[in-house]
Amino acid sequence: MDLLTLGFLLFCIVLVIVYYLVPKAMQWWILLAASLYFYAMSGIKNMIYVLITALSTYAATRMIQSLTDRQKEWIKANKKTTSKEERAAYKAHIQAKRRAILVAALLLNFGILCTFKYLHFLIAQVNTVISSFGASPINDTLKLIIPLGISFYTFQTMGYLVDVYWNKYPAEKNFGRVLLFVSFFPQMTQGPISNYKDLTTELFKEHTFTYHHFSWGAQRMFWGFFKKMVVANVLSAYVQDVFANYASYSGITTLIGAFMYSVQIYADFSGYMDMMCGFCEVLDIRLTENFERPYFSKSIAEYWRRWHSSLGAWFKTYIYYPMAMVKWNQKLGRWAKQKLGKTFGQTVPASVALVVVWLTTGLWHGASWAYIAWGGVNGIFIIVSLWMETVYASWKQKLGINEASWGWRAFQTIRTFILVTFIKVLPEVGTLSDGFGLWKQIFTNHTIPRSFHALLPFVDKKMPLLAVMIGTILIFVTSLIQRRQPIRQWLEDHTNYAVRVLIFAVLFIVIVYFGYPASGNGGGFMYEQF
Amino acid sequence: MEELLEILNDINPDVDYSKEKNLIDGKVYDSFSIITLVSNISEEFDIEIGPEYLVPENFNSAEAMWKMIQKIQEDED
Repeated sequence: MDLLTLGFLLFCIVLVIVYYLVPKAMQWWILLAASLYFYAMSGIKNMIYVLITALSTYAATRMIQSLTDRQKEWIKANKKTTSKEERAAYKAHIQAKRRAILVAALLLNFGILCTFKYLHFLIAQVNTVISSFGASPINDTLKLIIPLGISFYTFQTMGYLVDVYWNKYPAEKNFGRVLLFVSFFPQMTQGPISNYKDLTTELFKEHTFTYHHFSWGAQRMFWGFFKKMVVANVLSAYVQDVFANYASYSGITTLIGAFMYSVQIYADFSGYMDMMCGFCEVLDIRLTENFERPYFSKSIAEYWRRWHSSLGAWFKTYIYYPMAMVKWNQKLGRWAKQKLGKTFGQTVPASVALVVVWLTTGLWHGASWAYIAWGGVNGIFIIVSLWMETVYASWKQKLGINEASWGWRAFQTIRTFILVTFIKVLPEVGTLSDGFGLWKQIFTNHTIPRSFHALLPFVDKKMPLLAVMIGTILIFVTSLIQRRQPIRQWLEDHTNYAVRVLIFAVLFIVIVYFGYPASGNGGGFMYEQF
Repeated sequence: MEELLEILNDINPDVDYSKEKNLIDGKVYDSFSIITLVSNISEEFDIEIGPEYLVPENFNSAEAMWKMIQKIQEDED
């Protein structure tokens, strides 16, 4: 179901009415029905994969929980009559069973995800290798269509599975509740990738309609529509043109195109989050926030804590910490401390874990060498920063840089934004060599455009460009205000009701006038492809 | 507790660990500090801190860390 349609709007309105009319204990059933309907509308065949994920996770978590309970009871009953060694042997026996169930469920679910996302890529790589030995390539006739949101719901559900294995909380007994956790439609297609405890606490509480929730939620939805339909959709046409024709454009035009891409992807992805978080607010459900003004970050590592932060949190919890804490990596760290010095040695386990995190983050975003390289470049910046931390500190001391000064912080923010932009475009132009080609064009084509058309050859009408520029300034100013308080609170404190109505009426007119015609440029959302 | 305070002071000596209750939520410690901290605690106390223990509640204060260490030691018995 396309989110930018009247059909979806109608679906939301009917859902809100029914949701608040039914008894509170039944509200989550309405959400489950709506989620299954939403997903069925995207293709009834895809439903089977959601059901497999939900069913296998439900069964695996229940079995793991039952083994955990059995172990507790056995220890309690036999503590006085058994030796420490006997208890350890029993625990190891139960743990082996729990681990086998965990591994089976992980293999099944990540297996489905990898088949859909990486099989074509894998066959292409195998063909490259075997062709070089003169063998005939494998005929890749499979036409796999990636089920909607599979990267998001698989990661979220596997997080729940591992949490139960780690005894963070008990497994859910009600299958319907697990199914809603897996399929909750506002976050199913593009996240946020929620933690089971956080999301289910919100989903299963009793929800009361209030004007405050309705008003604030609707305002945030409006803002999201504006970002998506006016800024992101209009920029989409410009950026596509630059990425397709950069070889014939000047370096400065290509650079503008790259910066436009940074604005476009932020307006697109955060616009979606605003729409969905706003809609959930109308339902009295608080979703995990995915953005915290990321373009104001002062380092790449900080940027990744503030951009798509739910994915970053997932990787930190389930890949980074376990990888850094695994025995062989800890041993490597101790060896490095002895041989290479304490300061560098203690960064080794984290560095090894970061390599794994960033290569998998690259692969999560797409099955191509360009995405793997993109993950690698991000990882290199973060790991080198970690190694150089003490060196940088001594340089700053020698140069007398005041880290708290406005000028230094502004420099760090602008530097990070530029770096992030260059890294972002790498996998988006086409192949990896296209990405490097675009970088080369920026640095080597010094042609000075002599006219507006030569500078921005992709702009055929000036009014949409003006709307984008004003929209970008509005997003920037809003972000500045949000440093201190939520923009909606600021509006309530500084304007009266009539002014707020006027602001949103203007936003509505701008969305209809500039946004709707541009929806053909990028009607879908950029993160849906992941 | 003294051994733990030594480890903490080694990582960041500018913190008053008897009062600080917000080491993680207050962003005093980042994910790299946590890895270093967990490695040093595991080595010093000869315990295995699994990833399941890496939640903010266990690391927000020296007291919380001490309780976690004691719990792991008890469970290993």
